[in-house]
Amino acid sequence: MPPFNKILIANRGEIAIRIMRAVKEMGMKAVAVYSDADKNSLHVKYADEAYYIGPSPALESYLNIQRIIDAAERAHADAVHPGYGFLSENAEFAEAVEKAGMTFIGPPSYVMRKIKSKLEGKMIAKNAGVPVSPGSDGPVESVDDAIKIAEKIGFPIMIKASYGGGGIGIIKVENVEELKEAFERSRRLALQAFGKSEIYIEKMAVKPRHIEAQLIGDKYGNYVVAYERECTIQRRNQKLIEEAPSPILDNEKRKELIEASIRFGKAIGYYTLGTMEFVYSEVSREFYFLEINKRLQVEHGITELITGIDLVKLQIKLAAGEYLPYSQEDIKIRGHAIEFRINAEDPLNNFAGSSGYITYYKEPSGPGIRVDSGVDLGSYVPPYYDSMISKLMVYGKDRATAIQIARRALDEYKISGIKTIIPLYKLIINDKDFIEGKFTTNYISEKMPVFLEELKKREEMKVISYLVLYSQSQIKLSFHKEVKSSYRNVDRMSAWKRQGLVMQSTTRVMW
Amino acid sequence: MRKVYKVTTETGDEYVLTYSIDGEYLKFETLSGVYRARILQKGTRDNEFLIEINGEVHRVFIENFNQIIVNNEILRISNIQEKYEEKEVSLQELISSKKGEIISPIYGRIVSLRVKEGDAVVKGQPLLSIESMKSETIISSPISGVIQKILVRVGQSVKKGDILLIIK
Repeated sequence: MPPFNKILIANRGEIAIRIMRAVKEMGMKAVAVYSDADKNSLHVKYADEAYYIGPSPALESYLNIQRIIDAAERAHADAVHPGYGFLSENAEFAEAVEKAGMTFIGPPSYVMRKIKSKLEGKMIAKNAGVPVSPGSDGPVESVDDAIKIAEKIGFPIMIKASYGGGGIGIIKVENVEELKEAFERSRRLALQAFGKSEIYIEKMAVKPRHIEAQLIGDKYGNYVVAYERECTIQRRNQKLIEEAPSPILDNEKRKELIEASIRFGKAIGYYTLGTMEFVYSEVSREFYFLEINKRLQVEHGITELITGIDLVKLQIKLAAGEYLPYSQEDIKIRGHAIEFRINAEDPLNNFAGSSGYITYYKEPSGPGIRVDSGVDLGSYVPPYYDSMISKLMVYGKDRATAIQIARRALDEYKISGIKTIIPLYKLIINDKDFIEGKFTTNYISEKMPVFLEELKKREEMKVISYLVLYSQSQIKLSFHKEVKSSYRNVDRMSAWKRQGLVMQSTTRVMW
Repeated sequence: MRKVYKVTTETGDEYVLTYSIDGEYLKFETLSGVYRARILQKGTRDNEFLIEINGEVHRVFIENFNQIIVNNEILRISNIQEKYEEKEVSLQELISSKKGEIISPIYGRIVSLRVKEGDAVVKGQPLLSIESMKSETIISSPISGVIQKILVRVGQSVKKGDILLIIK
């Protein structure tokens, strides 16, 4: 018997589809919600049922608790899965779901309230004997306070949104001048993205790497950790490439990480899935707790690949009150997995978001490849939400094999109509330091000047190739015009052919 | 006589290149360099061409009539303008004729304007911020000058390619 009958997924894009897949496999019904911008999106079509919840801006749809609860009630759902981002870590939402008589797939609202923000999480960690990095012990309300704290702990520092996630609202600050400028910007972004402007300050580690542990717990105080993921390759504090296991962690440190994570879970009676994020310094071989993500993580797939556990199914079962079916000894690491976040962004233009229609789409496949995508040919990538459209995961018996597979997979992945960071990944995957696992969270910002030059050169080469063929009349841009002229003879054509030509001659060619 | 190509890709990037014949090569010039290219031969498959660019050979496939795949990447072009040069002008001039117009590089919403009409700005000075996909892009001035006209206001949505303001 499946634990629920019908689960509403209060999210969009690839993660909504990922969760629906688990829901369907478990023999339950999956319900989607959608905004105006998403009415033709893949997750809406993939669901068993779908309900409209409002206009495109997230505040009026995916962040609107009442509209989502209404949709869940209309659908007679008995559980709600929040995915990641949006309302996934919002205690009021979890409570609203519980009050409506449904199960929230995640930690219960009373546990969430203990760690409403990153800041509260940090204090709990401190008390549970989990190491934390120095910074403000509370929210910072004014620029003057910020400067005082920063000068006490020393620059560089990070300004972080207490209620943030996905790297939004995190700003690295090197000096007082930058701090003055960044303070308001960070508060505004935090308010916009998370509805709360509270921010705090933390010291930046030396040669930091980002390592996180996958905490899994049931309602009855049993915990396991499905090992770690390394998410050091970031830009603007947003993860780009993640891998599991970490290429640098030894078994002794791994054990410390696991034990600290379980202590934290026990301290607050946490259950379902949580991600314990740490910053790890290779120099001092010390790790500091950053925050706990109280939800399914974007990069959960690579843990699934190396452990063989379906984390989404497990999460649903644990939320329903089932016992944890494994002990720590049952979980083994097999092989190596790497994930590339496919973002609709232009690496040549400071990673500016690139929205639009997808006019060409070929996904990689074959041995060792998993693609969790939220788009297809003809999909619209709206400017209102996160830029991640898909995740490419590769899996091999060791890291070197995974990298070989990644090279092939990235070559196979072809997208047009929007910009993506695939061309940048092709450079990273061939970079010596990446191949040897030598990097810090500054990897992208340090290497970017070299990568940019190469990317520019490659883009120009493509245009030159096109022009060579064009100037030699091997390729014609006038394709659209020719279609239009033959379109005048439409009366002599069958309606099917006419329809086909009309479809082809519009600027957005396919779908 | 040189020809000038202005190529607009489907994703809105613009390339200005000059084109001339140089022996058996086609010579293209961009701001970043000179490319001597030619079709080496047709490939062994349908719609395959071997194209030599600065001594390197690339396999280029024509896909669905009007798009190419080169080095495993797809390129779709939305427009090519071509004209013969009346007199020799430098590429720099060809590109900079509209330099005072600040164009939005992305689709998004104006969240802050840091200058007003009549302000003097220096190269690199932040002019305004555009928010898209939850991140903020700061548009800085590419030149020094005076803000002649601001065509947007805070809260307004802009498309890629929209003129935001004009600097003289």
